[in-house]
Amino acid sequence: MFGRIKNWTLTVARVMRRELYLSLTDVGVMLFFLFLPLVYPIIYTLIYNPEVAREIPVAVIDDCRSAQSREFVRMADATEAIHIIGYASDMAEARRWKDSKACYGIIHIPADYSRSLGRGEQANVTFYSDMSLLLRYRSMLLSMTELQLAAGAMIRTEAISSLGSLASGMGDSPVENVSFMLGDTEQGFASFVIPGIIILILQQSMLLGITMLGGTSYERRLRGGGVDPLAVRGATPVASVIGRMLCFVLIYMPLSIYVMHFVPVMFSLPHVGSPMQYLPFILPMLVATAFMGMTLEILVREREMSFMVVVFTSVVFLFLSGLTWPRYAMNWLWKGIGDLIPATWGVEGFIRINSNNATIYDNAHCYIMMWGLAVFYFFTAIWATRYIDVRARLQTGYRYLPKM
Amino acid sequence: MAFAKGLGSTMRREIRRLGSRRVYLWAMVLIPLAVAFFFLNLMESGLPTKVPTAIIDLDNSSMSRNLTRSLGSTELIDLSYHADSYHEAMEMVRSGRIYGFFLIPRDFEAHALAGRTPTLTYYSNMTYFVPGTLAYKGFKTMAVLTSGKVVETSLTGKGFSEDLAGTILQPIVVDTHPIGNPWTNYSIYLSNSFIPGLLELMIFMVTCFSICGEIKHRTSVEWIAYAHGSVTTALIGKLLPQTVIFTVMGWGFDALLFRYSGFPCGHTWSMLLAMPLFVMASQAFAVIICSAVPNLRLAMSICCLTGILAFSVAAFSFPVESMYPSIGIFSYILPVRWYFLIYIDQALNGIDMYYSRYCFVALIVFILVACSIAWRLKKRLLNPVYVP
Repeated sequence: MFGRIKNWTLTVARVMRRELYLSLTDVGVMLFFLFLPLVYPIIYTLIYNPEVAREIPVAVIDDCRSAQSREFVRMADATEAIHIIGYASDMAEARRWKDSKACYGIIHIPADYSRSLGRGEQANVTFYSDMSLLLRYRSMLLSMTELQLAAGAMIRTEAISSLGSLASGMGDSPVENVSFMLGDTEQGFASFVIPGIIILILQQSMLLGITMLGGTSYERRLRGGGVDPLAVRGATPVASVIGRMLCFVLIYMPLSIYVMHFVPVMFSLPHVGSPMQYLPFILPMLVATAFMGMTLEILVREREMSFMVVVFTSVVFLFLSGLTWPRYAMNWLWKGIGDLIPATWGVEGFIRINSNNATIYDNAHCYIMMWGLAVFYFFTAIWATRYIDVRARLQTGYRYLPKM
Repeated sequence: MAFAKGLGSTMRREIRRLGSRRVYLWAMVLIPLAVAFFFLNLMESGLPTKVPTAIIDLDNSSMSRNLTRSLGSTELIDLSYHADSYHEAMEMVRSGRIYGFFLIPRDFEAHALAGRTPTLTYYSNMTYFVPGTLAYKGFKTMAVLTSGKVVETSLTGKGFSEDLAGTILQPIVVDTHPIGNPWTNYSIYLSNSFIPGLLELMIFMVTCFSICGEIKHRTSVEWIAYAHGSVTTALIGKLLPQTVIFTVMGWGFDALLFRYSGFPCGHTWSMLLAMPLFVMASQAFAVIICSAVPNLRLAMSICCLTGILAFSVAAFSFPVESMYPSIGIFSYILPVRWYFLIYIDQALNGIDMYYSRYCFVALIVFILVACSIAWRLKKRLLNPVYVP
């Protein structure tokens, strides 16, 4: 009994060593296993690192041309998002500026602006916004809202002092309201998107590497009459699947520390979670991803096919994780498919641990789902390993070759 | 004549090859279709409204209950939970059940009516940008309205007319007009950029796979022989059938986006014209990569890495002007960036073709550069060496 356990463990260890050797000596696989997780997070963060859109060019059409309207424009220019590029004489000119991308917004102050203010009527200012990028629109809109409140408060103070004692005490609002942003306190784009993307990079790079190893092995099988000459002899599908998983998880452990700890620290992204929470948290995702990769190997009969199978899924998985379009708004189909992707749970849980200081306990659902996926993909990986073996034998015609 | 004959035989050979492997059917037709369906179906509702949020009502007065009811009836948020304390609500945020919460302090009504300025606080979880922003917007609107209502009641109580009270409350009103997408529909904004981005990625991969695959399987000599020894004929004959398929796919996506989904499209003809140019420019980009590194795995790696980075660096979400200039400049080496700019001008804003002239020229430049560099491929194609 103990002898058999020992033998089995030794086989697993041999599979692991062989897989490690195969991965480390393959430049293509190393590109995925090392280059992608090391360099991609940096490239992505560099793209988004300016965090917010500031000083967006905006044109003004001032039909009022009074001291008050100029004051309003000065205040607009002083906001974070808006940079006034100049006065257009009419709407046609302002549109020409916008069409040639000289500005992305137009503020129109009507001719009766200061007259309305003087009469104690509401003054209307119109703001036209370009909608090519929602981020730009969002920044300009927030600045315009702040501007409306600030300019309004200023004018109200003047009005109240002219109304006299009747309105005393009405200068400031009777109910204050204070807003707090949690997690991504500066509302920066990198702080929001990078914690999710880096987890997805971990999964996708591992899938790419594993499927490339699978494709290479299949090419060797076709040359070697259905059997991979470099495979460990005598390894059962269970032993080989577990051994390979251990190899991939081993490679990805240091990378996970780099990606989950050093990348946020390097770029001062939100990083308040405890390593004792997010490091154990990611383990089931790595295990599940390794088994998932071995399952996907059935689609890959050639080394370079791994690109075709895996690369486009990155975009789909990013959306399925709910980072951009939240999961509560998905229909059952996409929610169900998302449930089957380890990174969906990994992204969700890591973001909360990393940015909201949550614990594994808070995200028990994600954690359990990932272990569930690990078990699920473990069985599919065993099936896939058997299937590939049989298919390679059939394809090469060596049907009756002795079992490995 | 020799050119036409070579072209004809290369194209016939290529069509046979495209039909002989299932991967082409998947990569050229099924995957793009599936992903386009995915994006359009996923974001069908336009905005993920009804953000799950919680309320903490420590006052339990008629005013606070009124406020709770108003919050619950807004379009943006859904008050799924009533929490008893800040800590309880925070735990719900940490476990992802809610994306924000609204806190009504103790003795809110009493303080508000007595003019002792109580404070309404609201928390939005910005780690999820869209639901966080929507929750913030919903909370803010309600907080401002509440405070306005209190002022109005007390002003009209003091004998001011309602008009004057309104003016004192909000002397300046800014009307915002989002041009082209007044619903702030997320699908209009994302599907129109991500579907062409995916098409570009698939074009990169298929082009690389079909050119460098010939080197790997040592069929490139045969390929050149079909083209009577001319690499230009060989490339045109190989890529033209793919151009046709991808262009038809692209027009299909245009129909899906602008007709079936009804997304704004000002100038249909310029969009139809831009599609074949975009397809050819993407193919040209891949040909340039293949000519520079005629190795299947490396060329595929480079194409995939840039194709995936394109979704970020082509500035579909974060503006190029705000990026570091040394990073932002890379967006202009990608065909999809130019196509995206054409889409904004011609479809979303529907402005004159004159303003997009440079974008069309840029797409043509990709094709010209590919033509001028493709001769490098010939030597490799005649002496195929596979490097794994």
